[in-house]
Amino acid sequence: MNVDSKISKPGPIRIMSINRLTIGTFALFVSLFLPLTVRSSEPSFRRDVMPIFFRAGCNAGTCHGSARGKDGFMLSLFGYDPKGDYERVVNEMIGRRVNVAVPEQSLLLLKATGAVPHTGGKLFSKESDYYKTVLQWIEAGAPDDIGQIPNTVEVVLSRNGLVFEKAESSEALTVTAVASDGSTRDVTMLARFFSNNDSVARIDADGRVTAVGPGDTNVFARFSRFTVGAEVIVLPPEARFQWPDPVAVNFIDELVFDRLKKLRVVPSDLCDDETFLRRVTLDLIARPPTLHEYREFMADARSDKRAIKIDQLLENEAFADFWTALWAEQLRVIGGNYAPVATDVKAADAFYQWIRTQMRSRRPLNEFIAEMVDASGSNLSNGPVNLYTMLVHKPQFEPKAFAADFSQAFLGVQIQCAECHNHPFDRWTQDDYYGFVSFFTGMKRKPGIEPRERRIFCDTSAPPAKHLVDGRPMPAKTLGSVEPVPAGGDPRKTLALWLTAPENEMFSRNLANRIWAQLLGRGIIEPVDDVRASNPPVNGPLLEALSKRLVDVKFDLQSVVRDICNSRVYQLSARPNESNVRDTRQFSHAHLRRLRADVLLDSIVAVTGVPRRFNGFPDGTRAIEYYPRESGDTDGPHFGDSFFATFGRSSRATVCACETKREPTLSQTLHMAVGDSVRDRLSANGEMKRLLESKAGPDEIIEELFVRALGRQPKSDESAAMRALIGDSLKDPAVYEDILWSLLNSTEFAFNH
Amino acid sequence: MKTAMLQLAQCQSAVFPKHALLAIRSCFFRPPSKLRAQSNRSLQRCYGKMRSRYMRNIFNQSMMTSTIIWAFCLVVHAEEVTPISYDDHVAVIFKKHCLQCHGDSKQEAGLNLASYLSVRKGGSGGEVVVAGRSNSSRLFKAITEEDPEARMPPKNDPLPKEQIALIKSWIDTGLRQSSGSSPVATRKLGFTPTTVAKSGGPPPMPENLPLIESARLIRPFPVIALAASPRAPLIAVSSYERINFVDPSTRNLIGSVPFPEGEPHLLRFNQSGSVLLAAGGRPVQNGVAVLFDVKSGRRLAEIGNETDVVLAADLSADEQQIAIGGSSRVVKVYSTENGSLVRSLVKHTEWITAIAYSPDGKLLATGDRVGNIHLWDAASGGVVLPLSEHKASITSLSWRSDSQVLASSGEDGLIVWWDVAKGWPAFSKADAHPPRRPAGVFGKIANGVLDASFGPGGELVTCGRDRTVRLWASDGNLLKSFGPDSSKANDSQISGVRILPLQAVLTFDGSLVVSGDSAGQLNSWPIEALQK
Repeated sequence: MNVDSKISKPGPIRIMSINRLTIGTFALFVSLFLPLTVRSSEPSFRRDVMPIFFRAGCNAGTCHGSARGKDGFMLSLFGYDPKGDYERVVNEMIGRRVNVAVPEQSLLLLKATGAVPHTGGKLFSKESDYYKTVLQWIEAGAPDDIGQIPNTVEVVLSRNGLVFEKAESSEALTVTAVASDGSTRDVTMLARFFSNNDSVARIDADGRVTAVGPGDTNVFARFSRFTVGAEVIVLPPEARFQWPDPVAVNFIDELVFDRLKKLRVVPSDLCDDETFLRRVTLDLIARPPTLHEYREFMADARSDKRAIKIDQLLENEAFADFWTALWAEQLRVIGGNYAPVATDVKAADAFYQWIRTQMRSRRPLNEFIAEMVDASGSNLSNGPVNLYTMLVHKPQFEPKAFAADFSQAFLGVQIQCAECHNHPFDRWTQDDYYGFVSFFTGMKRKPGIEPRERRIFCDTSAPPAKHLVDGRPMPAKTLGSVEPVPAGGDPRKTLALWLTAPENEMFSRNLANRIWAQLLGRGIIEPVDDVRASNPPVNGPLLEALSKRLVDVKFDLQSVVRDICNSRVYQLSARPNESNVRDTRQFSHAHLRRLRADVLLDSIVAVTGVPRRFNGFPDGTRAIEYYPRESGDTDGPHFGDSFFATFGRSSRATVCACETKREPTLSQTLHMAVGDSVRDRLSANGEMKRLLESKAGPDEIIEELFVRALGRQPKSDESAAMRALIGDSLKDPAVYEDILWSLLNSTEFAFNH
Repeated sequence: MKTAMLQLAQCQSAVFPKHALLAIRSCFFRPPSKLRAQSNRSLQRCYGKMRSRYMRNIFNQSMMTSTIIWAFCLVVHAEEVTPISYDDHVAVIFKKHCLQCHGDSKQEAGLNLASYLSVRKGGSGGEVVVAGRSNSSRLFKAITEEDPEARMPPKNDPLPKEQIALIKSWIDTGLRQSSGSSPVATRKLGFTPTTVAKSGGPPPMPENLPLIESARLIRPFPVIALAASPRAPLIAVSSYERINFVDPSTRNLIGSVPFPEGEPHLLRFNQSGSVLLAAGGRPVQNGVAVLFDVKSGRRLAEIGNETDVVLAADLSADEQQIAIGGSSRVVKVYSTENGSLVRSLVKHTEWITAIAYSPDGKLLATGDRVGNIHLWDAASGGVVLPLSEHKASITSLSWRSDSQVLASSGEDGLIVWWDVAKGWPAFSKADAHPPRRPAGVFGKIANGVLDASFGPGGELVTCGRDRTVRLWASDGNLLKSFGPDSSKANDSQISGVRILPLQAVLTFDGSLVVSGDSAGQLNSWPIEALQK
């Protein structure tokens, strides 16, 4: 090919004006008017310009950061895709958003300063540093960054905690970013700030914190992909505060009381024996104490009778059964007849039985979980392998859904945001997410011997997950680490080791927090399965200590439960005092907790002595031992029994802890008042009949009914009212049925207090 | 050999009908040995069938024509050992999967697949198979549809891959009825350049344009619009607030006209080359279309008063109308006589990015930012056809001078040569400007085609995000790729601006490819060099 070199080469246009004067060339023109600036002084797109998009809110989810952009212009949410953002800003519509010939006419600047109509309004002024930075970058030709730009590796807040004595006082925070090359810079004017509770403390756009009212909360700064927080305490007036100095039984009390003292909150008194017995029995073996247990405990004169009681309950098989139920709920055990293969009821039974065996034999929790994580084999004969059939109910194994649910269940961490973009309020990036998914991309199912059987195995030749933004393969990598795990073999072995290792604080803290939440009604991190930088523990040292304790006792559930139940904090009264009446999260008094649906049903059965039958389960099965068995699809929400649907037992539709609902509803009230669960049991051949046939007089019967239902003696006014109701009809079953009906319909019965 | 063939084709084009011409071409591409290898008997058989079919029904013309068809048939036969046919291969597939609903007893959608003739006839919605074009055949689309709701057979797994492949090659090889029958002629789009009217006197060139003060630019404005005069060695180049006239061969600036409204986003000459349409404005501020007298630089008309820049515009062949479009999603048609709005064409759901009137004045094509193209009747504004093939923004629309073919280019990397009469792609080129993948880079790389425009000889010049400018023959084959200059591989940025060719045109005589880039530079390459 003979191309004329003189003409065909790109070159300057000679300007030949009317008077035939050759003024110069465009190239010369350029060199005259724009001496090439030194690169290092130019603003960098990633380092300087993108943070302005973040600060001004351009790449927020409601604006151009939405998945489809806004008004035809899209930016990656909070800047997870710098390369793509550069292309969209500079090259998607050349000359429009960025005008390198007349920089101040760039639409980017005209829109941001409100000089032309903009749905998002005016974001900064022409006098601001933001404007100057973007303008300088465009003046430099809107260059893309060449080579590796030092990226932010850490963000530091000037203060870890702030304590304000009175409302309206304020203090400014500064934010410093540390780059991968070790350099630091003040990014206060590029960060975004928010407060977790504006009624305690506000934080303005430039990082100034202002106290609003007594309490504690956290304020946060976000920059790059980091969220860093500082604790803010606004104290109530000192004058009316007097620390009662309660006795600390163990480390739990020390840490909780430390915190309360700091916050100037007085804890409630210790609860009485009746309340303690009912509380601990419901919490540990999921039913109210029997008449016999009540009398025995109340008659016990030993000073350490509460500790003894706790030990007795921990030895009860029902304790292990209750925790089996909690795990089965978390691991979403559902069985189906004629279900899609792998989730058959036989597989569910195998899984449930295996969990129960582990709980009854006091298997350390880390071993219990590790065995599931790297399990392989038949879903019918090897119970733990059903982690891979039950946690996500799908005919096919789905690595992404599984990885997200896995981390939520075992780490309390929700990484699924990072499927599409870096987690906006936590440290998790898309790299973390896809690296984690790759632990499970090899998981396959193949048919077994019988039709219901599936063999679960890891296909080590399967390719890893691909990064959403650039499609690069992401080899298996544990959360938060930099390097992937060694290639070759089943990566789940490494995963199980990493996950359950004593050093993995995410794991032990998650378990400790969930155990605490089960007993206290509220997690130190709440919700328990949404652990993130912007949702810090309300008492960090306490969670730390519990987690450490769990590791020290080699992940023995009973030991930690024993510590918690023996603490004064657990045994505090639910009745608040003047000082702690507004506290809802620092454990200064016991939380009133509605009974879980299954515990409530078991309690009704225990009080009335009339058993409840469940389809597909043998007689005598307790409600806590029930898990949904359905015909057909096991995908959708399944409650199994209609009582559980009404009272909000987990439908196992998702892995979320919020599936277990404790909110009251009208249908619950109606069901308790007129539904068959209570009504049919009042007159049936149960405890009531036995009571009436015994020689007991009305006062004894009233007492027994109170103890059975509420775990306490009737008060004198209650006795009198009941006695009046009975009148002369001393053995009229209808009257006693009415009394029991009202006890079962009382809020006191429905709550653990 | 290729050149010789082209010459032959050109000299014979006056004598033969266009379809015959292509037949000749395909002959020439066959090695002669294959021709000789044909046995006399099959020659006879083939000839007989073809003659009965085509001579009676279609052409019935000179003996010369039938000889050409004879040769054509011969070639097709030479390459197919066992041709795929309805009787031998396809009928059995239809019988198994389709006849329940599309058979003799029941004809869903009026379609009967039980006989060859009824398959060809199609259903109530028209033809379902188009010879030679599986991608344009509705039957093929229906069985390969990705959406299970829309796919045939309904509520079932798709047909086995081999069967789909069989049906595809049956369509593509010409819908044979039996192994002995000949393929159905496929519709071809030959091209005869329409002679440019020479009646307008000497080709109009700018004369004595006054000096205008250049705007305060810190670097050249990207060449976002470029147009070549259809009659003169003249190109118009957009700059900021001005339009430069440049001699393409010397690339000397001949003169400029001011465009104080902002940036000209579109430049287009009328057919006689005497008037230049410039449309543009300032983003989210104002938009306008202006007609200039090329000779004097005088403003003839200012059309439209938009609130955002006009991204696309064209002047109708009779110069009575100007259609403009932009972010308003509406194509507005204005009268050039009095500047009044004639009509608004409301159908696009996204920004209008390309507009082109057909040279014969009958049709108006408009394209938008999600890849939809609509054809309108230029006179009435009635909807003619939607052309859907692109999956991302249309970047340009260009008509071949015979008005039979419309070329479209898109950010999806696709170039389509549309057979406008049928509304099908005559040819299409996916990934027409494939960018080089740097080592260690995964995923999608922007491969958009940024501009496409026809030259006088029916060849198409395009430029894309791979930084090349490409020339395509009238049959959709790549002729030549230009740039980026490998000796300047490191010079992909000038003072921070990444260089991308944004616009490309062929000059009036087809002798030169000119392209303008994002750094405001013009490049040109002579075409003669190709023919050597």
